[in-house]
Amino acid sequence: MSRVPFLDVVDRTFEGKYMPQEDFDMKVFVPELRKVIEKYKIKYDSQKLIPDDDDLADRIFQAGMEFYQNVGTYCVDTERVIRFTEKEILEALHTAPDKVAFGQGRDLRWLKSRTPESGTPPFCFLGAVGMPVSSDDIFVNLIQAFSECDLTDTITMPSLTHINGRTVRPNSPFEVMAAIRSARLFKEGTARAGRPGIAAMNAIACASSDVAKIAGSHYLRPTDGWMIGSTAELKVETPRFNEIAFVRDIGGRILAETTPLFGGFCGGPEGVAVASVAYHLHGLLVLRGDCQLHCPLHLKFVCATAPPVLWALSAGAQAITRNSHSPIMISPFLAAGAMEEMCFLEATAAVTAIVVSGSNLEAQVTYGGATPDLTGPLTPRFSAEVAHATAGMTRKEANDIVLKLVDQFKADLGKAPAGKRYQEAYDMKTGKPLPETLEKYEKMKKKIGEMGIPFKI
Amino acid sequence: MGDQELFKKMSQAIIELDKDAAVAAAQEAVSVGMSPLKAIEKGLQPGIQTVGERFEAFECFLPELIGAAEAFKAAMDVLEPIIAKMGENQDSNGTVIMGTVKGDIHKLGKDIVVLLLKTRGFNVIDLGEDISASDFMRAAQKYNADIIGLSALLNTTMPAQQEVVSLLKEQGIRGNYIIMVGGAPVSQNWADEIGADGYSRTAEEAVNLALDLMKKKAA
Repeated sequence: MSRVPFLDVVDRTFEGKYMPQEDFDMKVFVPELRKVIEKYKIKYDSQKLIPDDDDLADRIFQAGMEFYQNVGTYCVDTERVIRFTEKEILEALHTAPDKVAFGQGRDLRWLKSRTPESGTPPFCFLGAVGMPVSSDDIFVNLIQAFSECDLTDTITMPSLTHINGRTVRPNSPFEVMAAIRSARLFKEGTARAGRPGIAAMNAIACASSDVAKIAGSHYLRPTDGWMIGSTAELKVETPRFNEIAFVRDIGGRILAETTPLFGGFCGGPEGVAVASVAYHLHGLLVLRGDCQLHCPLHLKFVCATAPPVLWALSAGAQAITRNSHSPIMISPFLAAGAMEEMCFLEATAAVTAIVVSGSNLEAQVTYGGATPDLTGPLTPRFSAEVAHATAGMTRKEANDIVLKLVDQFKADLGKAPAGKRYQEAYDMKTGKPLPETLEKYEKMKKKIGEMGIPFKI
Repeated sequence: MGDQELFKKMSQAIIELDKDAAVAAAQEAVSVGMSPLKAIEKGLQPGIQTVGERFEAFECFLPELIGAAEAFKAAMDVLEPIIAKMGENQDSNGTVIMGTVKGDIHKLGKDIVVLLLKTRGFNVIDLGEDISASDFMRAAQKYNADIIGLSALLNTTMPAQQEVVSLLKEQGIRGNYIIMVGGAPVSQNWADEIGADGYSRTAEEAVNLALDLMKKKAA
């Protein structure tokens, strides 16, 4: 028993069935998804954003298995479909590791699989989640601050937008140089915090090309993580296989990253939940993930905190964590910007849903993750505090809290505030939060504690 | 069957994503001698606009929007030869060159903007993904475009939007086109920084912005 060899998967990108992309989307993906949603009677419930129905979770998993077996993954460059048999899918699930080590020395951490309502605290992959930053100084300050947070198991780096005053252009030497510099600055930041062994798990955030990602990897270690992504829905590009070939050779760890879109080809929440399971299988078989990172997103609001997306996130995670031992993390995008009250409310709702559904956590994208410098270390720390506080909570208890939280922000998702830039909320020299930033943090933590989140301290 | 009833039939076919019914209704319009422009304006356009509005409100999703666009196109395929024969020109809100910039192969967001622009009467030339600055420029010149729409989904590919603006400036033709930028990492600040004419966060905002910018251009 063994997972389909990587070389065989690459073969299928050349030998699989030829199909125009439009046909894959509209003649295969969409109808097959609708078919299994109906067959397995999967239905969204706006009053149970965190469902507690194990049978529903298992039906979603079965639907996802059947769907992926019938649909497969589309290779954009060769216009061919990579398909797997039921036996191959089951073998991949069976042979997947249930825990993966990241980091070195005293900073070594194990990412393990969890199950719904598990009392085991989730693995916290904290940082900037690839959000853009405009200078080396902010980059290093952030890495140092993320490393200094004891709840940080591994770090998710920001992306540099400039090097030496030059804009980082895609597929240019600047992109390669930015990737290399990111890896070096990461080491500097972690060393300043006295955690040289902590792993970067999203190598390398600013690299969109395989060449840049591989070049930057020169300064990383096999105990770091390489995030390898796919595009919506169930698509992969050839450069990702180049990256996989490289990471396999150095013995690195792969995070298979997937982003099912609510409102896109998945349709509504039921489709996103089922597609999440299909992506889990795609992540194991095609992206060769040692673990998985799911980022379900609302197509319009670019966040995971719209009620139907929260349901899909929770239902999909429960389906996976009840039926697969391959560890997963979820990265909840927030609509509001860092340090905004709405941001804290959204983070609490999403993180609670993630943790009680059996997933681990990557945090924290704010304000769609797009605007330079709209990030800081307190937001991911807050998400991690919520994550540790809600481990062991029942799904029913969590649902009651999440419904109350969602009522406070759902009307504002389309007009979320941008929040504060790093330079406005933190001291650039010391990297510490400004007094008003810290005050806001404590105020929001108190408010959210009073809403039922049992913070440890 | 009266004109009103036929308009409703065409509109309903689009709303129900029924390509065959849309084609049959368009053929019926031709057979009764209805002006094809009137058929488009009062039959097909309201149907596709309804689906576009439902999509904006998330009452339906991308597959429905694509299905409606396909039904609309099938009916247009019946009407367009008649229009050409009549020498009439359908009123258009303008010509838009759309594409995802060099180095970026993401298409979904751009495709939605293309579909919604079409529902609002724009003639859209979709260049696809990974498009170089020079290809945007050549297409804009070839089709005598009013608007160039530049999509980028990655922080790392945003600078390629700037390259298009710079190239048009270098060639002395920047003023000939309205440049709109969009995509998840793009912001109003970025649009201002690179000298684009407009930015929108969502697909429907992009359509409204295109209409506004065209009005300003005409004024």
